[in-house]
Amino acid sequence: MSSTIVATENLTKRYGSRAVVENLNLAIPEGAVYGFLGPNGSGKSTTMKMLLSLIQPTSGNVEIMGQPMTRDTRRSLLGDIGSLIEAPPGYAHLTGAENMRLVQRLLGLDRQQIDSAVATVRLQDQMDKKVRDYSLGMKQRLGIAMALARQPRLLILDEPTNGLDPAGIEEMRNLLRRLAGDGVTVMVSSHLLGEIDKTATMLGILSGGRMIFQGTRAELTAASTPDVVITCSDPQAAAATLGSFNARLTQDHEVAVPGLDDRQTAGVVAALVGEGIGVYGVARDEQSLEDVFMHLTAGGGL
Amino acid sequence: MGALTAEWIKLKRGLAWPVVVLLPIVLVLAGAATQLARGGQPENGWHTVWVQSVVFYGLFPLAIGVAILGSLVWRAEHRGSNWNALMSGPTSSLRIVAAKATVVAGLTSIMQIILLAAVIAIGKFAFGLPGVLPGQYFAIIGLLVLATIPVAAAQSALSMVLRSFAAPIAVALVAAGISLAILMIEVPGAIASPYGLATRTTQLGTGMFADTGTITAGDITAILAAAVLVSIVLVAVTTAILERRDTRS
Repeated sequence: MSSTIVATENLTKRYGSRAVVENLNLAIPEGAVYGFLGPNGSGKSTTMKMLLSLIQPTSGNVEIMGQPMTRDTRRSLLGDIGSLIEAPPGYAHLTGAENMRLVQRLLGLDRQQIDSAVATVRLQDQMDKKVRDYSLGMKQRLGIAMALARQPRLLILDEPTNGLDPAGIEEMRNLLRRLAGDGVTVMVSSHLLGEIDKTATMLGILSGGRMIFQGTRAELTAASTPDVVITCSDPQAAAATLGSFNARLTQDHEVAVPGLDDRQTAGVVAALVGEGIGVYGVARDEQSLEDVFMHLTAGGGL
Repeated sequence: MGALTAEWIKLKRGLAWPVVVLLPIVLVLAGAATQLARGGQPENGWHTVWVQSVVFYGLFPLAIGVAILGSLVWRAEHRGSNWNALMSGPTSSLRIVAAKATVVAGLTSIMQIILLAAVIAIGKFAFGLPGVLPGQYFAIIGLLVLATIPVAAAQSALSMVLRSFAAPIAVALVAAGISLAILMIEVPGAIASPYGLATRTTQLGTGMFADTGTITAGDITAILAAAVLVSIVLVAVTTAILERRDTRS
């Protein structure tokens, strides 16, 4: 089991009486790509800002790389954390190269670290252009290069695929995978599950400021058991027989039965055979994470 | 050092340079305009040229100039998510505040040197004054460079806290007015106000407003002490504010 690089304990942010984030217990294993999901306004950015100590929690605490993250300790920890919060940063009146030179001077980096960060986001041919003239995708990539230049151990990216076209989103996924391969822990937020579904090794789902799920992808799928789908000789009769299990007929004339474990599945098949119904096939419905996500966020009282 | 170099890079293609160059030149020209229209040499030679430009400059244009520089230097940080980036790096709040104040003070000192050059140019070429500008005025410019550090720190602080470009400039105008009034009624400690300190220094040896006409060692010591103390206090307070502030969402 790898160690935890980010941990929060009952992290809460209130504005007046309104809680934006409530009792969050986040645990990000070192080396993970942690997909931080939730609808807009669920508190993702606020959480990330608290992790970076950009805003102070109302209560609870944050621990990063085994050390408490507070206003007093942040500057020593931030050297190892690359981040991109809300929109990509960048000084519009300067060129990409000048922006990177700023980062180099501020962080005391060498030329090679800058060049490699720029190459990673494939922006080397756009460096002499003013950031004002960049497309959103280019600004996004520059922002990531600025975050990467310090060769962080932890990368916190807030909706990095915002405003990117499908090719850009794919490129971002590859980048995140490559970084994770190099041992960088990546926390990436999105309101669209599909964007980080295939990249994330860990998922945290936020709804209304509360964590409604945290775990691996497999655990998430298991958390809501997919339907058992039965193909048989007489679907109508089968559905009627399994009425007590809330079985229903699908459009493809199959019978879908929700919430069955393996033992129950065997029992259901036996019951159908006992009724003289020919069972051709039994399968678990391939449930997309989107379905699970919708199911969970609906349960979170949206 | 890194933070300071970074700040100088940010000034590229900015509007700070035109302000630094044009403001003192325009003021010296405006001060000399009446005399130029009338023709002939100013009554008291270099002294008159100095009083007409530098003393007027010190009343409020100087404070406004520094305020504009402060707003320009902070403007980019308030845009987009640059503030988040600034605050999520390893550069300490003290270094950020000190670098910003130093840049504003640095630009301000260049403005004073251009002021000096403009005074000399007007005196020499427009009025054809004999000799060179008396050494005393060079010393006063040197002192003014130090005495404007607190205004630079104060305006940098205001522009850090206020997102608006114009608000800190308005504050500078009001503060310069109040400080001048306090200087004139000779309230002790009037130079504890950064604006009062800058204004007072431009009046040294002129006999104008709060000045007696003779420069004493006591005056200079008081100005230097105020410049150092007020700067330190302002930078410390500004750092504490930046350190305790949540970023705005």
